[in-house]
Amino acid sequence: MRLFEYYERESFLHRLNPMAKLVAIAVLIGALTPAFDPLTPVVFLLLIVAVMWILGRIPIFYILRALLPFWAVALSFIVFNAFLYNVGRVEHPTVLFTWGSLMVTQEGIEAGFSLGIRAVCIVCTSILFIMTTDPTEFALSLIHQARIPYRFGYAILVSYRFMPMLQTEYDIIRAAHRVRGVGGRAGLKGKYHELKRYAIPLLASAIRKSERVAIAMDSKAFGALPQRTYYRTVRLRATDWFFLVAVILCTVAILLTLWRLGFLRGYGFVPQ
Amino acid sequence: MDQGEAILILGPSGCGKSTLTLCLNGLIPHTIGGEMTGQVLIAGRSTRETSVGELARQVGIVFQDPESQFCTLTVEDEVAFGLENLGLPQGRMGERIEAALAQVGLAGEQATRLDRLSGGMKQRLALACLLAMQPQILVLDEPTSNLDPQGSREFFPTLEGLRRHRTILIIEHKLDELIHLVDRVLILSPEGKILAQGEPRQVFADEALRLEEYGIWLPQVAELALRLGITPLPLMVDEAAAALAGRPYDSRAVMPERTTGKPPGKPAIEVKDLDFTYPNGTVALRGASLTVAEGDFFALLGPNGSGKTTLANLVINILRPPPGRVRVLGHDVTEMSIYELTQAVGYVFQNPEHQFVADTVYDEMAYSLRARGVEEEAIRERVEPLLAGFGLMPYARINPFALSQGQKRRLSVATMLVVGQRILILDEPTFGQDRLTARRLMERLQALNAVGVTVIIITHDMRLVAEYARQVAVLLDGRVVYQGPAKDLYHDEELLGRTNLAPPPLYELSRRLKERGAPAFPDLMTVDEFCLVFGNEGAHASF
Repeated sequence: MRLFEYYERESFLHRLNPMAKLVAIAVLIGALTPAFDPLTPVVFLLLIVAVMWILGRIPIFYILRALLPFWAVALSFIVFNAFLYNVGRVEHPTVLFTWGSLMVTQEGIEAGFSLGIRAVCIVCTSILFIMTTDPTEFALSLIHQARIPYRFGYAILVSYRFMPMLQTEYDIIRAAHRVRGVGGRAGLKGKYHELKRYAIPLLASAIRKSERVAIAMDSKAFGALPQRTYYRTVRLRATDWFFLVAVILCTVAILLTLWRLGFLRGYGFVPQ
Repeated sequence: MDQGEAILILGPSGCGKSTLTLCLNGLIPHTIGGEMTGQVLIAGRSTRETSVGELARQVGIVFQDPESQFCTLTVEDEVAFGLENLGLPQGRMGERIEAALAQVGLAGEQATRLDRLSGGMKQRLALACLLAMQPQILVLDEPTSNLDPQGSREFFPTLEGLRRHRTILIIEHKLDELIHLVDRVLILSPEGKILAQGEPRQVFADEALRLEEYGIWLPQVAELALRLGITPLPLMVDEAAAALAGRPYDSRAVMPERTTGKPPGKPAIEVKDLDFTYPNGTVALRGASLTVAEGDFFALLGPNGSGKTTLANLVINILRPPPGRVRVLGHDVTEMSIYELTQAVGYVFQNPEHQFVADTVYDEMAYSLRARGVEEEAIRERVEPLLAGFGLMPYARINPFALSQGQKRRLSVATMLVVGQRILILDEPTFGQDRLTARRLMERLQALNAVGVTVIIITHDMRLVAEYARQVAVLLDGRVVYQGPAKDLYHDEELLGRTNLAPPPLYELSRRLKERGAPAFPDLMTVDEFCLVFGNEGAHASF
């Protein structure tokens, strides 16, 4: 099972129109971005994971595993901010301890934590979208709802088809070079040479493949007639609108509650 | 071409066969740039004056590569794609898709994802996509060249049902399974001119020399008949059996050394109870065991996905086997350094481009030696004779990617010989090559084998196995289900059925002759063997 891949399953989230999901995600990210306190992103993260798990029927284990590398990123935010946040921002920072000229402040840790969890939240929404969205429906909803030209919609589908092939090819090329006795040279220069050696055969084959697929598509009259019909249609249905409204109401409710309880910070004001 | 006719086009690689196909559906001159003179008439109308959309209703093309002619992710979407382009009303698509899939034996596969289909299924789907668009003319550009024998055998019968209902133009190398479907053969010269055309039997008989010169494969029985001087030329096994029955033969003709069973020598490669599971959970090998003797000419067979390439990758430690299970020249591969291993084993990948690491052909050859710290002068002495021997000397200064496919393949083999490895593994060495290049390559391998190099080929080509391999092993579902001489494999019909391997037509022929009342007739597999048996003056038995 590959992470960051469509996870085929019958669920509420899977049935939603991809555009509705994208707009809902934009609402969530928009609501999160100005919030600087540590609690708000945690609440949203829990909400997103719960939605994925319950409405998307994605095993919680997959979600956690997919997020694994991003916890490290979050941690680096915390460490970085712990040392460097304070300067000039807060009048009386709570100094936890000092290390040479560096000060570790509670405010710094909190800000880093907030930033880190927000990053994890954004990653989590992307995972939600990718795992619950059939790529074909995504392309179709781009064509039907977002009204992008269908040529681009199909370009996205084709690249989705090609991605795993290129990955396989990359693995083969690496193995092939190992057999030539190509040792991994250390340092930046070695990396550059390695990249160059892999890039040429990969590009050569990608270009050849895309030429072939273009010819095959043209042969089936792609774009040859002014009118094109669709076998599958992706519509915006009542549930999609209902979902969107629910997401917006939920977001507002969470923000209001946190504000009333005094946890919410950011949004242009920093209550002390 | 007449309506309902089936034409086979033959010609050396690069003679313009594929270009011709693109002229038929109007992509040339409408979408692909270039200069075109003359005209193509489809049902009386010039392609210049007909739009690509209109032509797509009349001419459909199946392309060579099953991977890169699809643009959606599921079977029904793919069949629907062409119908959508033609603007067919949505309500009528379902039944058309269903009918087209049924015609190619894919009924009920509508929702299947394309990446779950085998190569053979993909090519039949490609055909279904066109059938749904209901063209009168079907063009097939080497539809089975990327398929394993199983896939090809699935594909050709599908065509049988379409014959006479459609006009069919086909470009193909594997004539044995196809020739009975063809009304007319047309031969193109390397310059792209029509050399000869007519009824297959006549054309093969008249143009035998030129076909040989251009490296065009003939049906195997036709090749034999030409050597034995049989007229009229048989094209299928039955016809050949009828023509040969009654000829005196020598059942005790001395066969070439190759067929005398096990060669002497210590094990070059030993694999014992090898299991391998990929990180994604795919089980590739389940207790595979095999031994390749030093100096052997060995063929590794098996259907796609049976674990052949995985096994080879474990032998050269690209994939790491568990300790103690794989030995090369007596050493455990997990204890050998990459340097020691590449010194002992050369591995030629299926796609030669994957292995190129340098900017010129000469540097490509010199690469492994330079990495080993050999002096430039000594490198020159090693590289130049090899380049000359492989016909690559004139290209020493050009980029490997600029070579032709045949030259690329030769270069990839040559680079593997420069270090002087004692074991050479080749993955599908003759894949996509014409008869001439394939034969030259195999003769080179034979010459290397004669001086003691162990040669292992991974292949689907049973003709290749019959002509060159001494020992074979057959993999099925990650297990070695047979190891021994090629001939004994063909005796085991149950095993052949299970592994989807088909003996070469000439072996069929020898069995057929036996059934026709010549019980002493030996099991033969190659044209040379037949010539020995029939050509010997002292024949002591006859039908």
